[in-house]
Amino acid sequence: MAGISGGLTTNYIYACTRMRVRRSRLIPREDYLRMLNMGLPEITRFIGDTYYRPEIDELGTSFSGIDLVEVALSWNLAKEYQSILELVPGDLKYFTASYLRRWDIQNIVTILRGKVQEARSGKIKEVLIPAGRLDKVALDRLLAEESPERVVEALKGESIYPILERELPGAMESGSFARLENELYKGYYAQLIADARAGIKGGKMFLRYVELEIDIRNIQNLFRLRVGRIHEDVRELMIPGGSFSIEELQRLSGLEDRDEFIDALKKQVKALPLLNALEAIRGKEHLHEIEVALTRVQLDQMERMSKRYPFTVLPVLVYLEEKKYEVANLRALARGKEANLPGERLQGYLVM
Amino acid sequence: MVDVGMTLEMVEASQMGMKAIGAALAVGLTGIASGIAEMTVGSAAVGATAENRDVFGLVLLLTVIPETIVIFGLVVALLLLF
Repeated sequence: MAGISGGLTTNYIYACTRMRVRRSRLIPREDYLRMLNMGLPEITRFIGDTYYRPEIDELGTSFSGIDLVEVALSWNLAKEYQSILELVPGDLKYFTASYLRRWDIQNIVTILRGKVQEARSGKIKEVLIPAGRLDKVALDRLLAEESPERVVEALKGESIYPILERELPGAMESGSFARLENELYKGYYAQLIADARAGIKGGKMFLRYVELEIDIRNIQNLFRLRVGRIHEDVRELMIPGGSFSIEELQRLSGLEDRDEFIDALKKQVKALPLLNALEAIRGKEHLHEIEVALTRVQLDQMERMSKRYPFTVLPVLVYLEEKKYEVANLRALARGKEANLPGERLQGYLVM
Repeated sequence: MVDVGMTLEMVEASQMGMKAIGAALAVGLTGIASGIAEMTVGSAAVGATAENRDVFGLVLLLTVIPETIVIFGLVVALLLLF
């Protein structure tokens, strides 16, 4: 019961048990393997027989095919995250809300991109996932704004406003939102670290999760940069706050030879599962395989930590992360089947 | 405890009193321990039932298992008293 106060113990046990039960209901590996051999209508029916049924039934009259699956998954994810936010008590709520702010960033960047490309509000709305602090009503208000500048102006008072205000002119000029997005996510991780160190009980555990997430994200980015053959200054692209310093990451990105790079990375890493995963990555060619392997390590590591500290924020975060990947898997499956991709190829993209 | 000046009746009464205190402690402390254990199991049980009603029977059984602690205390108390 590390990191919790006596009076709140029962609430923590209650919430963490609910998360564990929900986690046990997530789609298992065998079902993914079965779905790989199905067509899109069968996958839709299969999903409709699980806890996605209310969304599939509700949206069945308005959407069909791949759109139905996509929108139903997004709605379910948003509903699930909002219900968890209502369910978790005290400090857990604070950390959960802090974690869920990433969806605000995703939604805002989607709206900005949509506005720049002059997409219809209805079309943008279909791809939004109101799982963060900004709910459906707040997002509708943003969608009603005419230009990206007005959208940013409407966000005055939000913690991400200063970054948006600083980066939007450059993004509008260059026509690329990549830098804006990077800065927003760097700000998000900096805020997570600040929240974890704010002196609230359980912050230490939350910090461990944040550091793990940053490390995995940085390693994934290093592999992406290698595939893109970018060896110049990568300091701007890395997320500070993990167990690697930005200078170390810069040095690692400069290594030309792949085996040398993996060896250097292994010297910096202490966690055994990550070391094993890096060794396994040596034989992998494709970037998506590397990314999936690293994501799997992150989830396994989080799961291990949540078992060691069962009544902290960790079981909640494990469920939130696994649910996110379940939705991503189902979306990839549905999209892949729509594009007639073979099952073996799709399997490589799934985090199972 | 036995004072030179104490009569046999006084000694017997004192022994009876000690037994009563022992019995009270046996029931009282195990009762508190059961309560703490049931608080933990009960919270998890309510959480599990909220997600899946089918497990109600099973978690009810698990919730009352810590009762054995207080039952042992009660048995010890009865053995002390009778």
